[in-house]
Amino acid sequence: MVMVQDKTDEIQQRMTILGELDIASFLPWIHRHAAKLGLGQTVAHADDARIELDLRGPEALIDMMEIGCLLGPIDVWVETIARAPCNAQFPNAKTTV
Amino acid sequence: MTDDTASAQAMTDEWYPVGLISQLDKTGRQTALMGEPIVVAHDADGQALVTGHNGRRLPVKLRYGHVWSSLGTPKKDIFAIPEADQPGRRFVDVGVVRVRCSPLRAVENFLDIAHFPFVHTDVLGAEPHTEVLNYTAEIRPDVDEVWATEVKFYQPQASKSASGGITTEYMYRVPAPTCSVLYKTCPPRPTEWDVITLFVQPLAEDLCDVWPWMALFDDETAMTDLIHFQQMIFLQDRSILENQVPRLLPLDPGMEIPTRADLTSIAYRRWLKRHNYTYGAQLVAR
Repeated sequence: MVMVQDKTDEIQQRMTILGELDIASFLPWIHRHAAKLGLGQTVAHADDARIELDLRGPEALIDMMEIGCLLGPIDVWVETIARAPCNAQFPNAKTTV
Repeated sequence: MTDDTASAQAMTDEWYPVGLISQLDKTGRQTALMGEPIVVAHDADGQALVTGHNGRRLPVKLRYGHVWSSLGTPKKDIFAIPEADQPGRRFVDVGVVRVRCSPLRAVENFLDIAHFPFVHTDVLGAEPHTEVLNYTAEIRPDVDEVWATEVKFYQPQASKSASGGITTEYMYRVPAPTCSVLYKTCPPRPTEWDVITLFVQPLAEDLCDVWPWMALFDDETAMTDLIHFQQMIFLQDRSILENQVPRLLPLDPGMEIPTRADLTSIAYRRWLKRHNYTYGAQLVAR
């Protein structure tokens, strides 16, 4: 049987992660976590204070990506995560806990 | 101070429950705190006494029905529970449940409502009411505590005094690394909160004694029934907790897929990480 993935519920969002980010540790972690969730991913910007990550996939899975990134690896401290439609200048949602 | 030393010291300097005030005696209770054997007793004058390795006298406080102690030098007092001074409440020492799991795992489980329908079936939850509605979880910088608010869940029997199913509202608070306070809808007094606490004594990184304590508005239920109800809940949790893998609480969610329903757990783990509270934690996902 051939399984055909339904792409109609997919969205694209930019996730902006701010904090004390050790990108040498965090970027590979992000790559693994997004792959595990089956999300399309492109890093648009990365430094030790800000990562801009473009994600593609179902909104519920992008939400799970956000929750996972809030904790992240042990040597990373995430202050806030904002999500917005790709290419938007201002985020429409912000999570900090 | 190295990172490892700072990490160990952060939790060493906290207060932990080590026994019930009502069970203090001269002979003493042989127990442990973070791997160190201790004895909890009272002296000839009836004063609580906690003795560590080689007879070292440890700090002692009596609060919320329990004896509290520390292996280090606590920089703060034990956290306040204002409801403990509120007239009309009944205070319930539930006793102790030993659990072979990380003390941090025991707290995290207490913060999780998603397991109610599956572990506390037909009591704290029931199918098909399994959805966790969105709620707020945060680290409050003014008090340096984790708080989760607006947590709502359908419960067939929310408490011993509940006579039928109700949508219960919860607030969770984590004021210390191994302690949590739950504020819960009080069926007999809708304007008040029942208070159920989880005080966890870390015996070792993967072994703990759980000391629940309650401050309730319930003048009717027999004390024995209140204790049995709460012990039943914690015994149901024990079988789950003792089978969790890994045994320590991961502070890196690399092997898990947390969802929005886990926001309180994530806030708790972030707070632990921020404070180097890592006794009982797994730092790297394996």
